[in-house]
Amino acid sequence: MRRKIAMILCATMVTTLFAGCGSGTENTVATSTEEGKEETSANEGEVVSIWHDGDEAIMKVIEDQVNEELSDDNITVKFEKKSGLTDQIKLYGNDAESGPDMYMYAHDSLGTFVEMGVLSPITDVVDESVYADMLPMTQEAGNYKGEQYLLPVYFETLLFMYNKDLWEGEVPSTTEDLYAYMQEHTDADAGTYAVVNQHSTAYNVSPFINGFGGYIIDEDANPGLTDEKTKEAIEYNKKFAELQADGDYNTVTTLFNEGKAAAIVGGPWLISGIKDAGINLGIKSLSDFTLPNGNSLAPYSGIQGVGVMKHAAEEKKDAVAKVLTAISDPEVGIALAKEASCAPANQKAYEDEAVKSDEMIAAMERTAETAEPMPNIPEMSVMWGPAESLLAAVNKSGDDLDAAAEQYQKEAEAAITDMQ
Amino acid sequence: MLCAPLFRDGVNSMKNRQKIRPWTYSLPALILIGIIVVFPILYTGYISLTNMNLYHWDDYHIIGLENFARALTKVDSGFLGALATTILWTVLNMVIQVVLAFFIALGLNVKGLKLSRFYKTLLMFPWAMPAYISILLWRVGMYNTEFGFLNKVLAALGFEKMNFLSENVPAFISCMVLNLWMALPFMIMMMDSALQSVDKSYYESAKLDGAGFWKQTWYITVPAIRPILIPSVIMTTFTTFKQFDIVYLLTMQKGSLSGATLQTIITYAHQNAFVSNNYGLSSAVSIVIFGFIILFSLFTNRGVKEEA
Repeated sequence: MRRKIAMILCATMVTTLFAGCGSGTENTVATSTEEGKEETSANEGEVVSIWHDGDEAIMKVIEDQVNEELSDDNITVKFEKKSGLTDQIKLYGNDAESGPDMYMYAHDSLGTFVEMGVLSPITDVVDESVYADMLPMTQEAGNYKGEQYLLPVYFETLLFMYNKDLWEGEVPSTTEDLYAYMQEHTDADAGTYAVVNQHSTAYNVSPFINGFGGYIIDEDANPGLTDEKTKEAIEYNKKFAELQADGDYNTVTTLFNEGKAAAIVGGPWLISGIKDAGINLGIKSLSDFTLPNGNSLAPYSGIQGVGVMKHAAEEKKDAVAKVLTAISDPEVGIALAKEASCAPANQKAYEDEAVKSDEMIAAMERTAETAEPMPNIPEMSVMWGPAESLLAAVNKSGDDLDAAAEQYQKEAEAAITDMQ
Repeated sequence: MLCAPLFRDGVNSMKNRQKIRPWTYSLPALILIGIIVVFPILYTGYISLTNMNLYHWDDYHIIGLENFARALTKVDSGFLGALATTILWTVLNMVIQVVLAFFIALGLNVKGLKLSRFYKTLLMFPWAMPAYISILLWRVGMYNTEFGFLNKVLAALGFEKMNFLSENVPAFISCMVLNLWMALPFMIMMMDSALQSVDKSYYESAKLDGAGFWKQTWYITVPAIRPILIPSVIMTTFTTFKQFDIVYLLTMQKGSLSGATLQTIITYAHQNAFVSNNYGLSSAVSIVIFGFIILFSLFTNRGVKEEA
């Protein structure tokens, strides 16, 4: 009897053990594909799955809009959220069974996915005219080695956001005047600041770096940390950093939301928190600030775009083409702007009155003129670390700029060599 | 006469069964260990011999020991610096932890201490909290330049604000204080239970012989609790040695680098192995560092055994 019980327990343990080994993702994907198949048989339509790692409310807007447009074609688009999308695509990008048909993500990982061989150019599926109306900057972001891989949907960039109740007078239009205002209105001991910024985060310092003509990495994957213009920009940013608190994301957003900082340099992702805090928000485009060299501030921009997996481009070509065409419709952009406060990539969407009159979206469109898309080459993924270490060393630890730039340039070069 | 071989057979089969039985019992556990521990190490070993990287994602092949040659040139000055930091970190943390925990436990065991159970529960608190949350709470609630408690105190006393995490020495101390806060409860609990197991009559006779507090502590308490404490000290030494989350989350979290460039061997391994998307080289670096850690733990383990 005892032996039997022991055997049963043992068997249960081993079964549960192996049951636990099954991959969660595979399971969910399998179920969703099964569901898809059921639907297919019921509606005789096709399901196109798009993986993303973004805000589900935003994706819902696109999904609803696209599904409505495709209702006559018997095609259903399904957005599925996958945390850590880059890793998920590394695992399932080439897997027609468990992987997605398309993905939607920021453009800076594009080069990585293309080099891995999981993507097809969208021009294999649709005509160039489908993305012809997109803002040139967003088209450029989705282009890798001369081929268009991403259909831009919306974009994000940095803005100058200020508290209308705290800001005194007009917001200056030169960085020097801004600095003078900051000197007058900052009292670090009392914990009140004129402007805060994540001054040691490469993305947030990009308006200076690009504006000075410097670069973090160029098209040929050469790091630019020791470039004279980059260093000039970092030096210039340093004097602002001294008046901008610690520069940590949580610190600066809390300072602004609590009314202890009159302005913040940040992206649209801050808006919901700012609204909840009841701040009387004013927005100015960073393109409206002029540097001492006469150039405008030129922040990086991140474009959320849709790419097509190789297997889907071959096996589901027609359905994917219809989905891409539907996503490129200006109505999707208008819906995104109205319902989710996103700046659409489609220029035609800005002709809509409601979109035009939205202060933030108008500022984003204006910034698109000077904004530079983040580099989309794979080498960029190893540049954030050294670039931010350099900024932190200069702004926070007070290290010598030249020496630190040399050190982190070498680190960046080593990291790039290590990729090969 | 016929019985003897039969008997021998019976004994042999019983012996065999006795040999097999423990294996069958532990087989499920062995399979589990094999899948979770051994397989990943072997697989990492295999990947380290290939050129698997971004540019050879599906079409990788074995390239021999090339990755190891590259890994060894990478594991040079940076690694030794990180190793030195790690040893200093482990030694300082352990010494302070053991000494502090000992005296706090002694305090908790003083006769007639009121509410001692309450204090013990309170002291358990840092241990019960998830590490990730404690660390981020300390980062914002204690060390932050704007909202941190320490800077509020400094400001109230009329001093300038201080950034505790922007340079290596203050950052090291800040990390250590947090580690002590998180690790002390376990040590105190161990010390406390060890202290309670010491026979009180020893102290009575020592008192009669005229021994004071320090003599009692040194000649009775310490030798009596030592054998009970050694396993927990060894365990804590290992967790301290491979500490990753405190240093990483306080100073080098992506997007909010604090400016300090502290590296322990585990943060070093993380930085060198997991950012480049070159899985072949990363695996080789991991294997080399893994080798170093094994060597180091063999060495410390032997040291501890000899002492015991």
